[in-house]
Amino acid sequence: MTGIRAWGIDVGSSTTKIVGVEAGGTMCLHLLEDSEPRAEEQIVRMLQRAAAASGDQRVRPLVATGYGRKLVQQADRVVTEITCHARGAYRALGHGGTLVDVGGQDSKVIKLGPQGEVLDFAMNDKCAAGTGRFLENTCRRLGVDLERLGEVALAARDEATLSSTCTVFAESEIVSLLAHGVGVEPILKGLHRALVQRLVAMIHTVGLTPPLMLSGGVARNPAVARLLEAETGETVVVPPHPQLLGAFGAALVALESVGERPGKP
Amino acid sequence: MQPDVNVAPLPSIPRRRDLARAHHERGGLVAAVLPIHYPRALLRAFGILPMEVWGPPNVDAARAASRLQPYVCSIVRNALSFLESGGLQIADLLIVPHACDSLQGLGSVLLDFVHPAQPVLPLYLPRNPAPEGTAFLADEFRALHQRLAEVTQRTPSESELMQAILDEEVADDLLRRVHEQRPTLPLTTFDFYHLVRAREFLPLDSFVSLARAILAMPAVKSPPKIPIVLSGIVPEPMDMLRAVDELGASVIADDLACCGRRLYPAGRSRDPFMRLAESLLGGSPDSTRGSPIQDRLDHLLGLAHSTGSRGVVFHDVKFCEPELFDLPVLRRGLRDAGLPSITVEVDLNDAVSHQARTRLEAFLEMIA
Ligand code: SF4
Repeated sequence: MTGIRAWGIDVGSSTTKIVGVEAGGTMCLHLLEDSEPRAEEQIVRMLQRAAAASGDQRVRPLVATGYGRKLVQQADRVVTEITCHARGAYRALGHGGTLVDVGGQDSKVIKLGPQGEVLDFAMNDKCAAGTGRFLENTCRRLGVDLERLGEVALAARDEATLSSTCTVFAESEIVSLLAHGVGVEPILKGLHRALVQRLVAMIHTVGLTPPLMLSGGVARNPAVARLLEAETGETVVVPPHPQLLGAFGAALVALESVGERPGKP
Repeated sequence: MQPDVNVAPLPSIPRRRDLARAHHERGGLVAAVLPIHYPRALLRAFGILPMEVWGPPNVDAARAASRLQPYVCSIVRNALSFLESGGLQIADLLIVPHACDSLQGLGSVLLDFVHPAQPVLPLYLPRNPAPEGTAFLADEFRALHQRLAEVTQRTPSESELMQAILDEEVADDLLRRVHEQRPTLPLTTFDFYHLVRAREFLPLDSFVSLARAILAMPAVKSPPKIPIVLSGIVPEPMDMLRAVDELGASVIADDLACCGRRLYPAGRSRDPFMRLAESLLGGSPDSTRGSPIQDRLDHLLGLAHSTGSRGVVFHDVKFCEPELFDLPVLRRGLRDAGLPSITVEVDLNDAVSHQARTRLEAFLEMIA
């Protein structure tokens, strides 16, 4: 494959992603792997995969983002997730609004202006509450496959109330609910509600400007989007490849660094 | 990004311990002074060297855990731990201004439970504005004068006191000029604070010489950096300032309780105590003095506009009630005025976290 003009890599706490874009900023190649403890080795290997798949041996210009962005020694520039998600969302959807990104380790709300510029943001970076890790930990405890989590939650007719979004306390609350005979589905729905309420509180700190957009691995979970709609009264828009938005945005920043402007979706 | 390489060699700053020893050898006393506002000139008139205690950072705070509530800030927690582990032995007296509930609580804990070897002198600050506040504070200073006379067994004459006040006013004026001149000083943000915070413990003459040396530094036209205003109590951990430099930004003005909020103007009265009170209350608005939030907002906007700053970083100590109470209103007001802001919460004992750095980095990308 030729024609790739710029690259982005997003080294996240759960997954590592590489995206290549062609002229105009269209995504034309992507790789995604679970993040490994030896990040540097994984980065080298993934860049080699990218080179092999694209025929671009240099994989440059390359912009790195994400939790492990400073580990990417091959990068021409490092940029935070906030900027990259904003770029990616604007190129993917073509409008501003409020972007909620739920990552494995943190979650963030970014307010985008009409031209995709970052106007404000809020980050939950202090604990696992309100992040993908919260759902991951609890679904393990409930023996439900992560991929089916949202589906199972949405199938529930009742909903258990969870008073805590702290992963540690939520887990003991779940044990207690199970011991009292509450079913898995209502617990899961309650769990999703707790996570979404945490996100809504963050949205309020920057102010909700519609449309509401959702990205990150958790965006593939339909219950999060549905409950977010219920809690905010806004329709939730999920961009294509929501998990790749950071790497996509990084590739767009790299594209701009060589004087090319990304086009419209 | 690398910090600006166009920086001057720094004047060296003596260590606190050496200064205290030298002062003792000259027959003077050393006072450990807790934050934030106090009458420096009054202490100097008694031959006392004030050494401020802002924590200090990186102290094993466990010693204070049994005496303080878990929600007390790390400045107070560290100060108590530091004292109990012998870190303030060098001081002959302790002065505890009641800047906030936590410091007031510390004053009570010291007097009622800890009973340190040194006398503990509380100082009440008014919450009401002038003129009642000024008169109240002048009376507080008179009471402190009385206590200092008991502790030192000497009483400076009124003219000695007035001279000490006038000398401090010169130092305050120099400090203000250093702050004003900062955009053209050949100093990184880190180095700037390293130098100006020496005011917290240097003898008067040493500080005056230092300030003059800073003002005499050749002006530079710095490469373009992102100008920001820093607000909060104290720029600790100081590594946060290194991060500001590394990320290509520059603190061009501050609203820090330990720095920019203590650029006191000279008092006007002939009565020394009134003059001291006028000066202290003439500083810029401060949450710990109960200033109206609108005054604080106007001040921040004024600082940002006059220096061309692109945003405000609130660098707040965790659990700092006076600052955190004002924060939402201040941020909303700045947003309404089109000035972006961010909050970074810190604990004096923690290294700058990856998350805090990312937050700052993302903010700088946003306003660049
Ligand atoms: S940081 Fe805040 S709460 Fe702590 S001593 Fe200072 S003013 Fe008081």
